[in-house]
Amino acid sequence: MINVKSTLTYSFFKLFFHCIKDFLITIGNIGKDFSRVLYYVVRLRINASATIEQSSRFAVDSLPITLTIVGMTSVIIAMQIAPELAKQGAEGYMGMMSALVMIRELSCIMSGFAIISMIGSSFASELASMAVGEQISAMHVLKVDPVEYLVVPRVLSGILTMPFVFIVSSLVGLVCTCLVSYMTAGLSPLNFMTSLWQGLYLRDILIAMLKASFFGGTIALISCSCGYSTRGGAKEVGESTTKAVVWSFVAIAVWDYIFAVLFYL
Amino acid sequence: MSISVRNLTKTFNDKKVLDNISFSVENGHTLGVVGFSGSGKSTLLKIISGLLYSDSGTIITENNSDIAMTFQYSALFDFLDVYHNIAFPLLERREFRGKYSKKEIKNIVKEKLALVGLEGIEEKFPSELSGGMQKRVGFARAIVTNPNIILYDEPTAGLDPVSSTLIENYIVRLKNELNAACIVVTHQMSTITRACDDVILLYEGKIVYRGTVNDFVSANTPYTKQFIEANIDGPMEIKSLT
Repeated sequence: MINVKSTLTYSFFKLFFHCIKDFLITIGNIGKDFSRVLYYVVRLRINASATIEQSSRFAVDSLPITLTIVGMTSVIIAMQIAPELAKQGAEGYMGMMSALVMIRELSCIMSGFAIISMIGSSFASELASMAVGEQISAMHVLKVDPVEYLVVPRVLSGILTMPFVFIVSSLVGLVCTCLVSYMTAGLSPLNFMTSLWQGLYLRDILIAMLKASFFGGTIALISCSCGYSTRGGAKEVGESTTKAVVWSFVAIAVWDYIFAVLFYL
Repeated sequence: MSISVRNLTKTFNDKKVLDNISFSVENGHTLGVVGFSGSGKSTLLKIISGLLYSDSGTIITENNSDIAMTFQYSALFDFLDVYHNIAFPLLERREFRGKYSKKEIKNIVKEKLALVGLEGIEEKFPSELSGGMQKRVGFARAIVTNPNIILYDEPTAGLDPVSSTLIENYIVRLKNELNAACIVVTHQMSTITRACDDVILLYEGKIVYRGTVNDFVSANTPYTKQFIEANIDGPMEIKSLT
């Protein structure tokens, strides 16, 4: 007699259904927390000082790592593209191309990745530690809604400050591209700037700022939700942080696709 | 009557954790809830405090009752100093926001800290305090709104005997000062004898003994005997050991 529970097929389906269940629970938790955040925001029940504090953390604290990542990516791309364009005699398009790539895509997505790894993971582990240490339960008993006190300021900080991070990182990215184009392809900064204006549209900047806002809000919401719903101990804190990072990466990729389809298809 | 629990039932994964529990606690009285691990004590407190829903049963309190709870590991907010931990409900709870001036809050915090014997530590963070001090700060935070029902979850767990005695004395003191109805979940006999008036003994979600502390200590039922003498053998099977 075969013990069904010891077969590979059984283990596969068990794992598969566990993943499906976990996926649905996470979606449910994020949706529930989003509706509660919306409830407080619509009623203007916003803790201004906490929002400012979290904004400073979201935008200012993350800036060095964000700028490093965006700057380095720009340098690497410029190092490879500028000499090739120069060989084809198309170095005059370098500024325009950089502006299009940087504003429409690179700056936003790279800043998002940097913020997920630095701020998103920190939000998730912080709230998860509070949840397993009964601090969230203590807030409930003290009749203070943890979503209002902890999640709303973090989500708002993401929505409000991510466009600022995007602007600064775009500027840094373009400056890096300009310098590397000069060093590797001999493209003068003046020519780079002249070409840059041809690829810089206000519409693109506004769309990218809106996208950055969505990225910021999504990262904060997912990270807080994954942390907030943690039960158990140290192992679960780690799992929640990992889950927050993975879900945030996927979510901003999906948002990026939606924005591309909506505005550039 | 300050709090009355009637026919409370709670099931987790088909296992009845609380089975038709009923009791009441008067103002100025302390009820000790004892039992081995997994007997449903903490679940009972969580249901009374509103952290969990029961499957059935009712909890009746007087009008405008305010329920406070202290946690086994204090659950102080580690990102706030002692002052802001204690003032937290006054600053953040909707009904209290803006009700008190900064000076009034400062005085209230000072008064509550004095009640638990901890003056002058307002600027310290929880990580700078000993376990016993953290428990007392947790007490001060719980009573800052002058609750009429106080729940203590394992108030002396992890403390040395002298600190435990101190905590037990404060439980009695707070009960008398606030004339509150208190429920203490504990494993320790010293907490029962020093801080409680009545006791219920839980086993597998059911009350297997109820009475005054004096009766509990002298009772010769198989359940009380096993609990007081800490016997492995007896009518109560300890699931965590088997």
